Amino acid sequence: MIDRRDPPPVGRVVATEQKPATPHQFHFWTANETTIGIGAIVRVEEEPGNRKGEAGKVVYGVVTDGFAYSDLATPLHDVVGAEGDPARAAESPTVRQEIRLWTAAVLRQKPEEPLQPVPLGQVHVASDVDVAQALRMDTYLGGAEPTAIPVGLYTSGALEAPVYLDADFLLGPEAAHLNISGVSGLATKTSAAEFLLGSIFQHFPAHKGRIAAVCFNVKGPDLCFLDQPGALEDEDRRRYERLAVRPQPFDRVRYYAPFKADGVNLNTLRTHPDLVGDVEPLVWGLREVLDYAEVLLNRDDIDAKADAFIDFLSDRVVDKDFDDGFGGAHRVVTFADLERLFRSIFDGLELGGGRGDTWRTHHIATIRKVRNRLSNISTRAKGLVTDDGPSNDLPWGRFEDRAVYVVDVANVDPLGQDLVFARVVSKLREHLERRDLGVEAVVVFVDELNKYAPADGPETYVKKMLLDISERGRYLGLVLFGAEQFRSQVHRRVVGNAGTIVFGRMDSDELATPGYQVLSPATKIKLATLPIGELMVRHPHFTQPIFVRFPRPAVLRGRDGVERFPPAADLPFEDAVVRQLVKLDRRVRPNLVKDLIADRREEDVRRALAHTRQIRPQDALAHFRKQLGGRVAAAPAAARESVAPLNPISDDPY
Amino acid sequence: MPRSWVDAILAAGVVPASYVPDASVGRTDLEEFTGAEPVEDPELRVHSLAGAQPLAPAAVGFLDGIEQWRVVGYAGVTPIVRAYVAAAIRLRGADRRPHTVAEDADELAITRLDRLPAAVRGALEGTGVRVVEISADDAGQPARALPAARIEVQKARAALERRLAERRLEALGSDEWLVVDGVLSDSAALSAHPRALGVVKSHGAQYFTGPELERALTLPAVHRTSVFRPKRRGARREIHSWYLRLWPWEGNDLLYGLLRVEARAHPDTGALAPRISAWLVDERAPLATPDRRWDRLLYPIHDVETYLRARAPRDLIPYPASRLPRTGS
Repeated sequence: MIDRRDPPPVGRVVATEQKPATPHQFHFWTANETTIGIGAIVRVEEEPGNRKGEAGKVVYGVVTDGFAYSDLATPLHDVVGAEGDPARAAESPTVRQEIRLWTAAVLRQKPEEPLQPVPLGQVHVASDVDVAQALRMDTYLGGAEPTAIPVGLYTSGALEAPVYLDADFLLGPEAAHLNISGVSGLATKTSAAEFLLGSIFQHFPAHKGRIAAVCFNVKGPDLCFLDQPGALEDEDRRRYERLAVRPQPFDRVRYYAPFKADGVNLNTLRTHPDLVGDVEPLVWGLREVLDYAEVLLNRDDIDAKADAFIDFLSDRVVDKDFDDGFGGAHRVVTFADLERLFRSIFDGLELGGGRGDTWRTHHIATIRKVRNRLSNISTRAKGLVTDDGPSNDLPWGRFEDRAVYVVDVANVDPLGQDLVFARVVSKLREHLERRDLGVEAVVVFVDELNKYAPADGPETYVKKMLLDISERGRYLGLVLFGAEQFRSQVHRRVVGNAGTIVFGRMDSDELATPGYQVLSPATKIKLATLPIGELMVRHPHFTQPIFVRFPRPAVLRGRDGVERFPPAADLPFEDAVVRQLVKLDRRVRPNLVKDLIADRREEDVRRALAHTRQIRPQDALAHFRKQLGGRVAAAPAAARESVAPLNPISDDPY
Repeated sequence: MPRSWVDAILAAGVVPASYVPDASVGRTDLEEFTGAEPVEDPELRVHSLAGAQPLAPAAVGFLDGIEQWRVVGYAGVTPIVRAYVAAAIRLRGADRRPHTVAEDADELAITRLDRLPAAVRGALEGTGVRVVEISADDAGQPARALPAARIEVQKARAALERRLAERRLEALGSDEWLVVDGVLSDSAALSAHPRALGVVKSHGAQYFTGPELERALTLPAVHRTSVFRPKRRGARREIHSWYLRLWPWEGNDLLYGLLRVEARAHPDTGALAPRISAWLVDERAPLATPDRRWDRLLYPIHDVETYLRARAPRDLIPYPASRLPRTGS
């Protein structure tokens, strides 16, 4: 709710030949004891009578720099006055006259035309109403279909005012994407993203439809406890109340994590027995991987011939009945099926005699190369990619409104991370294009953007895709919330297309890079020393960056989460299988499962388990037993009849 | 005072002028006593301030005034001067920051009314501005009229300062002092008050001759002379006085850093002179730069002057190149 109290004047605009007021900048002085500081928003009122018969101009500005100086002509005079003794200087009976002079950048002038230099008038600290006017929030705070999303509280002294982002410019279609920069370890990037997501979910306007978020957890337990309430202080609750955001964890969170190499223990830190039941395995098979082979193979591998062969496999072979030309019929669904096809081809070429070294126009060297690379994938991304058995994926087409889908790839091999990222985002895009995802807009949160879309380095599939989202995603409702430590190290088109930019505490070296030249030295200093919970926000409606404070997110922080819910140790294979079956069907008795899988090959057990998980039958154990198949008892080898040698072996060697 | 009285007389036929005489930036010494009688010692002696415990009043008011004037027009050869005088008291308390507790200002026109055409005189009188007349003898030509006008401005300023000081004395706290830039002896109330001091920077008057004069003018830094009583002359009230050297004069000038302090004519003054002197020595810091009189100007007095100049009408300040002939367009 907007507070309409009018604060008292705090300063006065001054203009000299050396420091004139311009349409974009002005200077004002205040008392030495003032609440004004860098980032403060002020209102300048033209004094009555300056314009005959017209309402005075009102100018809003944000303080970008501050100066203090006394009437001391030269430092030497201070030395002389104190007779060279600094202690005496402090004891002088009179304190020199000094000034607090501030420089402010114009945020808005009313009326906007004609655009003129800022008048020499009184300066007031901005009230709620002023902040709304200054930041042009009035255009989207009210009206029939408001689109305001609370992002934080602008504070100056005792005054504070909610600051809102425009959903049309944060989540499309006018502009979109958010980029968060800040040094690590200060609970800025992740916390800001979590708070903002919560705010979006509560304030996303109904007329814009449904929205969901896909968050990639790329390090530690950062996003593993979004459904658990975190500790809040009274000040946080007060800020939540001021921002009209309910301090609560996310209602609907779905967790996805690949398995570890054993194929049964989940590769995530959310493995505490109380929570692991919510984590869905993320398992992909040949079909899921083959479409993104480009992600997994080195660029050198993807020559035109290999590319053509992969396309051939994808279009003509996978999931189809296929004759290999050597008399073998195949239906390739899994990596294991594909391997059988490759063996059949190689055998056919080697044994066929005179049929040369090509198969279906593809040279055997190319086929071997593709086979080697693809077979490596299931090894390198073991746990994510299954050699055989069904896949388990995000609920494409059934995304829920205001749900968060956390994909935990923190402990996945970088190659696997690339694959997960590329595939999930591509699928999001496909479904949003077809309007069949289940929601109209999706926020994709990616941390460590400098890793996935670096400013330099090779043109990877992931980088190309991120560029594509950045440049065209807003039309689809695919919105990228990216975070990184060093903005200068992220591809300029990715950060450049972010309509909204958030800065936490910044590294001084980073602030020295050319991307920050537009900021005043004072603003840079403030950025380099920002406390936890304070951010600088740039938004299309704001003509200057604005500092805001936000409450800590109402969810359990990652490192607190692992303390409250310590990850369980990896279970032995049998126990892990039991746990998964019990999760599907609570009637399952562990001992029966253990008896069932005793002495069975692990890959057979995994395949049966995956199938059971995919089907989700009412009687999980029965289905599992059926998939596992009958036990083939090991038959003892039949005793061979001995045949007497035709001639007894003589002792004589000759 | 509305600015329009100048416009009114210009409309009545006065030839406009814009001339700020050089001398208007400061004042000359007013008439001073000559000769003195010993009070503290049989003859003028030099006393070191080493070991003197400075007086430390809880609050001190500093009083100063300014004057600004310019010729705004000529009726024939009779100048019409616009003058502005102002005075203020800035009180320094425990926070060591002066703030204004009293101020007053006045604007006046100085001319010779009977030398003005009737229309101009009528216009001037009709505006309500206070008119101060110079003598008929001085009104003949600018060479005499302008110095006469200047004296009237100084008188107006001194009167304003005196009024302000006397009003303040009535409200002076028990541990509050009033330091006046200039002499106390203009005012009966000031010259008799136990906590009023006059700090005189100009030394046009001569009180001693021979060895005593030499002792007074070659006073070492952080030393004072004996307390003496300047001889009464005219309407001046009796006061006690002594010289005080703030900065070493050697290498500069005899008057460099030299103050003359005035206080009430009372036996206690002699007893307090060392402590008052030590206090004023402490007032050397901060330096009153960039004022060229900084060696004798106390910073709080400088502060009052800065305050008054900041509030003075801006159109009385000479503009660079303002006397260049106007272009034909």
